[in-house]
Formats: sequence, C-alpha cells, structure tokens
Amino acid sequence: MENLTIEATKYTPVINLDINGTISMVGKSYPENTFEFYEPLMQWVEKYFKSSAQDVTTINLEITYFNSSSSKLFFDFFDLLEENNNENTIEINWIFDEENESAQEAGEDFIEDFEDLDITLVTK
Amino acid sequence: MSESRSEIPRRKNKRREEGERREPSESKLILDIENLKGEFSKTTDRLIKDLRRHDKIMARTDRDQMRELKKLELRLEEVESLQESQKKLLDSFIKLIASAIDAKSKYTGGHCKRVPELSLMMADAASTATNGIFESFSIDTEDQKRELSIAAWLHDCGKVTTPEYVVDKATKLETIYNRIHEIRTRFEVIHRDLTIEALNKKLNGNDTKEVDIWLEEEHKKLIKEFEIVAHANVGAEFMKEDAKDIIKNIAARTWTRNFNDTIGLAHEEKQRVLKENSITPQVENLLSNKIRHIIPREYFDYEEYERMGFKTKVPEHLYNLGELYNICTSVGTLSYEERFKIQEHVQMTIIMLEKLPFPEYLKNVPLFAGAHHETLIGTGYPRELTVDDMPIASRIMAIADVFEALTASDRPYKEPKTLSASIKILSFMVKDQHLDSDIFKLFLSSGIYKIYANKYLKPEQIDEVNIEQYLK
Repeated sequence: MENLTIEATKYTPVINLDINGTISMVGKSYPENTFEFYEPLMQWVEKYFKSSAQDVTTINLEITYFNSSSSKLFFDFFDLLEENNNENTIEINWIFDEENESAQEAGEDFIEDFEDLDITLVTK
Repeated sequence: MSESRSEIPRRKNKRREEGERREPSESKLILDIENLKGEFSKTTDRLIKDLRRHDKIMARTDRDQMRELKKLELRLEEVESLQESQKKLLDSFIKLIASAIDAKSKYTGGHCKRVPELSLMMADAASTATNGIFESFSIDTEDQKRELSIAAWLHDCGKVTTPEYVVDKATKLETIYNRIHEIRTRFEVIHRDLTIEALNKKLNGNDTKEVDIWLEEEHKKLIKEFEIVAHANVGAEFMKEDAKDIIKNIAARTWTRNFNDTIGLAHEEKQRVLKENSITPQVENLLSNKIRHIIPREYFDYEEYERMGFKTKVPEHLYNLGELYNICTSVGTLSYEERFKIQEHVQMTIIMLEKLPFPEYLKNVPLFAGAHHETLIGTGYPRELTVDDMPIASRIMAIADVFEALTASDRPYKEPKTLSASIKILSFMVKDQHLDSDIFKLFLSSGIYKIYANKYLKPEQIDEVNIEQYLK
C-alpha cells in the first residue's frame, strides 16, 4: 500500500494520505462531483484499515468552506471511521478559524452524531 | 372433518419432516423475513440517521447562506459606496479639466461649464419629443445622461494643448505680443527719415516752404498708412483683394536696418535666421515675409492622422508668422495655420478621450465630444461627417456650443450678442446646414433658449424673439 496525495485545486482541498497513520485534508471543498472526487480517499481509507492500519491514526481536517454534498460526504467518511473505531485508535482533529462559524457548527454536528469517535475541535 | 383435521397436522408434520430434509424454503422464508426485518429496521435506522443528517446539513446550509447573504449585502453596500465615491472623483476630475481650460484663457470664460448644462436641457427635451429625428432618440437612464454630460464637459478638453497665443490671438500681427508696436516703430523711423530727408533738401538749397509742404504731406500720408495697417490688424472686417493691394503697397516702403538682427536670439529662432542675409546696413521692407517667420511642422504623424479618420487638410507649416502674410488675413485674425491649430483642439479632444478606458455605458463619450464642430453636409471638422454619421447628442452639443459662445458676456474679444441676434445667427447656420434644423426648432419651441437666457444672459441682452418665423 502506498501513500496518496491529491493536489489542491481552486475548489478542492489538498489531501494527504500517509500509511504511517496520518490523514489530512486542507482547503475548500466545492468539487463538481463530490462523491466521485472523494472516491479515491474513501477507497484508500477502507483499504488502510483492512490491511495496514497503524496503532494510532491521526486525522487532521481543515476545511474552510464546503458545499452541502461535501458535508454529506464527511458524514460518510466518519461512518467509515466509526466502523473501524473499535479495532483502531483514531484521533480526529477538526481544525477551523475561530471566526469561521460554519466550520465550527459542522464540527459540533459531527461530535453530536459520532459519540464514539474521538473528535477534537481545534481553533486556530 | 376429523380426517381432514387430523390430516392437517400430519401433513404439516410431514411437510416439516420433508422440509427439514427436502423443503428448506419454509424456514428460509422465515429466516429471510426475519433477516429482512432486521435489515429493514437497520435500513430504517440508517434512513432516519441519514434524514437527520440531511436536516442538519440543510439547517447548517441555511445558516451559512444567511451569513453569506449578510456578508454579500455588506460588501455590496461597500462596493456601491466605493462606486459612488469613484463617480464623484471622476466627476471632479472632469470638472477640473474643464475648469482648467476655462481658466487657461479668458477667451473661453465659463464655456466648458455652460455647454453641458445647455446640452442636458436640450437632450431632455429631445428625449420627450417624438417627432422626426427624435422618434428613436431617448436619454432616460442616469447612465445615458452621464455619457452626454461627460462628453459635453470634455468637448473642448483638447484645448489644453492649444497654444495660448493662438486661442487668444486678438489681432493679426499678434504672436506672443502684438507686433503692431514693432511695426509702428518702423513707421516712426520712416517718419524721422522723412524729416531728415526734408532737412537735407533744405541744406541742399531747396525752397524751405516747398520742402515743408512736401514733408507735411508725406507725414500725413505715412500716418494715414499706419492707420490703414493698424485698422487691418484688428481684423474686424472682411479684407477684400483691393484692400490687400493697398497694404502690399504700404509694405513695400523701405527703411534701413543698421543693426545685426541675428543676435540676441534663442537657439530655435537662430536656426531659422541662418538662411537670411545678415549684412548691414540693410534696406528692409516696412512689412515683410521672411524665412524666419516660417515655423516648420515637425513630428507630425500623418498615418495616425489618417487612421483616426481626420480629414481636415494639414497646413504645410506649423505657423507662418510673416507680417504681410498675417496682416492680409481675409477673415478674423487667425492665419490658415492658426485656424488649423485652433480646429486641432477637437482632434486632441478625440485623441485624449479615446485613450481613456471608458466603461461600456460611457463608450460614446469620445464620439459625442469629438463631433461638435461637424456639420450636416461634410463641411465641418475634423472628420467631415455628414448627417447620417453625426450622433444626435453631437448635434445638440453643436448648437449648445455656438449659442453659448454667441451669448457669452465673459469674452474680451467681443461684445455679447442679444438673444434675438444670437438666434438669428443660429438660424443662418441652420439654413447652411451647419446646425440641425429639428434641434434648433426644439431649442426654440421648448423655451430652453429663454430659460438659459434668464439664467446666464445680462438683462440688456434679453430681448423679444419672434420664434414663429423660425418654426415654419
């Protein structure tokens, strides 16, 4: 299994998937076709937990602006993390600028929905 | 019944027995149903979860949208206020340029300020009118008004490039100063020469009385000749050929120059006198055309001139300051070269305005501003447009331009004309198809001439105008 990097574009974030146990996404998320765009990420993460998950997996998410289908996708993403939460230690940091109310509210929604996941809200 | 009753469990048992072995479908069905029930409840749970998430996303999106909207509204307000202040800044710049032209020369006075006012009044009336050429003309939006207003404010902006001596040239011999004084000094010289000649005659034994009579006549003749030259210099009348001949005869008088007239000059003038004879004493004509009087035309881009669509013939020389040449100017005080220089201000207006990156709604400013000296029959300048190519806005500005100039009381070179006399002159220009007849009639029938007169003309200028005679 290999690392995967998806470069940022004007409307999509940079995504770094590292087999050493760090997953990060930074930027905006307005893909034209959200589910298609995130398909490689989902597949990679699924495979990662099946085959080569580290003891601790750290996930840093710093998405400044995102459309509603991205919101939906993040729920799916957290579902996937939750499925693997029992056998793995997963730490999630939801990072946002303190003036970004929208990102803060999204983070709060995730915490509410995924009680078992270790989600930390980190303000910049 | 009993049979059948007993049969049922039997068959049932049998079925069960068989089912355990051969018919697993029964329990599989239940299993499937139970599975399905489990799946269904899972799916329902998932669906409910999904719906809740959807609701959350929707609610969050709504809040986001509201925040974005508020932000956008704030930004819009900011942009609008910036736009407003930019507009104000642009307007002030335009007025600054216009007042610079008005201030540069007292010969234009408040022209640049009054022409836009008059033009906008006429454009409003033209917009309301529906007859003739006004059918398709309307100027309703603020942007259209702005376009016309800016064009009118800047119609003479090219005048910033016109040398003051040309704009203000009030006498024929004027360059930067009125050379009549220089020429009068020559008359003084000749006057003394005559006196000396008389004394010499007396010394040579001529009859004193006869010499005195001769001298008195020669002096009278000379003084008369100066008066003719001085009168011609003012350029108040059209100069016919015979008047020019008289001047030429006077110019042929001679005086003797004993001094080197090629020293004490700046570099440029020195270049021009190189080709002249500097030997002294030199017999000179009273009025002359010399090589030094020709200011060559340099750095003129004829290709650009053609590309801009300018048709006015370009004089060979930039200026011709020849004394005899200038004093023989037929109409007014400007030579052919100077008249071109004056007319060139419209070309400059066009060149300057076309360089400005006007937004789409102001794109006609250079066109409107640059056509106010055109006529309806191709005799105007600089593009010799005809009626079809001359925008109504420019035709309006053309009338405003002339009317303001005629009635203005702040020009030192002329007495302000009365309202009726000014309108009469306009009517002649309409007859010659220099000005648009429909707009002229509208100018009268709408009463704009009167409103303008009451605001800007002196009471003694305002007289009764019988507009009926012009409206026929």
